[in-house]
Amino acid sequence: MPTLFSFAFKNIKRKPLRTGILMFAIALLVSALVFSLSFVQRVNGSIKKSSERLGADVLVVPTNARGAAQEVLLENRIKTFYMKRSIINRVLALPGVEKATEQVYLVTIAGICCSVPESMVIAFNQDTDFIIKPWLQEKLKRKLAKGEAVAGAESAFNIRLGLVEMDSMLFGNVFRLVGSLERTGTGLDTAVLIGMDSLPAIIASGKVKNLQPDDISVIFVKVKPGVDPAQVAASVEDNIIEADAMARKDIGKNIITTLKDMSRIFTMTIILAAVMSFFLVWAIFTAIANERSKEVGIMRALGAKERHILRIFLIEVLVIGIAGSVLGIAAGTGLSAIVAKTFSIVKQLSTDLSALERVVIAAMSFAGGTAICVFGALGPIQRLKKMEPLMVIKTE
Amino acid sequence: MDLIVLENVSRDFRVGHDTIPAVRNATLAVARGTFVSIVGHSGSGKTTLLSLIGGMVTPSSGRVLFDGEDISAWAGDALSEYRCEKVGFMFQSASLLPILTAKENLLLPAAFRPRRPPDGIEQRAEELLRAVGLSDKANAHPSQLSGGQQRRVAIARAFMNMPELILADEPTGDLDEETESEMMQFFQRMNAEHGTTFIMVTHNSDLASRASQRLRMHQGKLAGV
Repeated sequence: MPTLFSFAFKNIKRKPLRTGILMFAIALLVSALVFSLSFVQRVNGSIKKSSERLGADVLVVPTNARGAAQEVLLENRIKTFYMKRSIINRVLALPGVEKATEQVYLVTIAGICCSVPESMVIAFNQDTDFIIKPWLQEKLKRKLAKGEAVAGAESAFNIRLGLVEMDSMLFGNVFRLVGSLERTGTGLDTAVLIGMDSLPAIIASGKVKNLQPDDISVIFVKVKPGVDPAQVAASVEDNIIEADAMARKDIGKNIITTLKDMSRIFTMTIILAAVMSFFLVWAIFTAIANERSKEVGIMRALGAKERHILRIFLIEVLVIGIAGSVLGIAAGTGLSAIVAKTFSIVKQLSTDLSALERVVIAAMSFAGGTAICVFGALGPIQRLKKMEPLMVIKTE
Repeated sequence: MDLIVLENVSRDFRVGHDTIPAVRNATLAVARGTFVSIVGHSGSGKTTLLSLIGGMVTPSSGRVLFDGEDISAWAGDALSEYRCEKVGFMFQSASLLPILTAKENLLLPAAFRPRRPPDGIEQRAEELLRAVGLSDKANAHPSQLSGGQQRRVAIARAFMNMPELILADEPTGDLDEETESEMMQFFQRMNAEHGTTFIMVTHNSDLASRASQRLRMHQGKLAGV
């Protein structure tokens, strides 16, 4: 016996090209939605997480190296910049500063100085450090000796794959990798870390250009409880002309500002696509309503109630909306994975979307695609269900 | 009690600025089990009269009673249930749904019933198809049937929900003489065996003469023959 479901499914199969076009349009909209939401969420979330995980309230870098420092710490880019080591004492002397620790950034070049692929080598002060330790303690319960290094989580992954040797040549010196960091979601993940006391031998090797023995790259500052990090950052800039400073909330600000502009472009595109999809669904269902008005009249004359007509068409539109949305989610997820590789801002990010974030994005896109489909078809369906059964007889 | 009573029923249609009276002050009483025929010229208001009785259009004035209840006061779901359970329609053309097979077209009215269809509904559809001589066409779509075969499917469909009243608007118009005669015998058998009331519009005076109550419509007015 035909049920309202089987009747609706027969109608869907009746014009496969038209059904396909409608599903394709919804799939396009949903895939664009999935892609843009994934993109924005991933970049935004990654920047925020990374700045939180840095563990410092203020970041002090050489003048004009603010952007480069953020790129290293948040986007895993490979950059070097230096300032004089003496600056750390001037920072420590500023009011509100509880502690500070310095790091030096070096870049390896495979085949020239080093046996590892191009990556950051970070030398850190083991006596004052509060940035690396929290990630290191569980893995290695002692200080790194000269000639020892630990690898960031991503580097460690490469070591396990055999892409990096356990005994690596770094700037003419053999370093033994003795441990690895937990995943931090920051630039540390792709770096190789050494103690500051290994640095003199590297400088002496002459394999690192532009680095002097008293150079450092960044200073991480922890402020005293109750002190506003922004005030300390302003104080650094007022008192130390050779340095720029950023409070934690401002780290990644440039990227987030750029991202907001990109989000606006995505939002506009999605709104336009949604409006177009809405009118496409409306136009197609208006055509369907005109084509099938006689059939609806017959059904109404045979005893179909308005809700039967509504249900038949809603089943049709829901099936199209759901199928289009599911296709769109698959396409959008695939597109995110493929296209993201070509977006340098995403390629460099160390954190990916969590399973929950993916589910939420898929659910939002699904709801959006299905809702556009249903609301687009609602007008023609409402008109159709109100049709007087007499019409069928009068049009015979 | 009469099954159908029309009390001074009129129905006007507006076309642009003009008002066209399709049915004028029709008064009628049809006893249960009666076979009524209505003849008249095209445009005389026969189809509108059937629509008024079938609850497909409401009167501009007057009352339509079915089994003592004023259906002209009903609306929405109540009228749909009335059309589904009490009335079987045969339209001027077959009016089958093209995506359903002959048997599915018969079963469609059962899908709209407010209550669960009775057991054996599929058997009933097969029996009705057999009765109209189309048992071998149960799985054929309307496009695979001739005009006459489609018409016979529509005739069978009208009986599907075992209605008390059949409203037939020139039901044998597309049929050859022999099939027309067979269908008339089928109607008379249903009328005699099940007490089904028939109101049939026809141009065929021979068919009309077989009815127990004969009526004529002329310019919207109903009169006995």
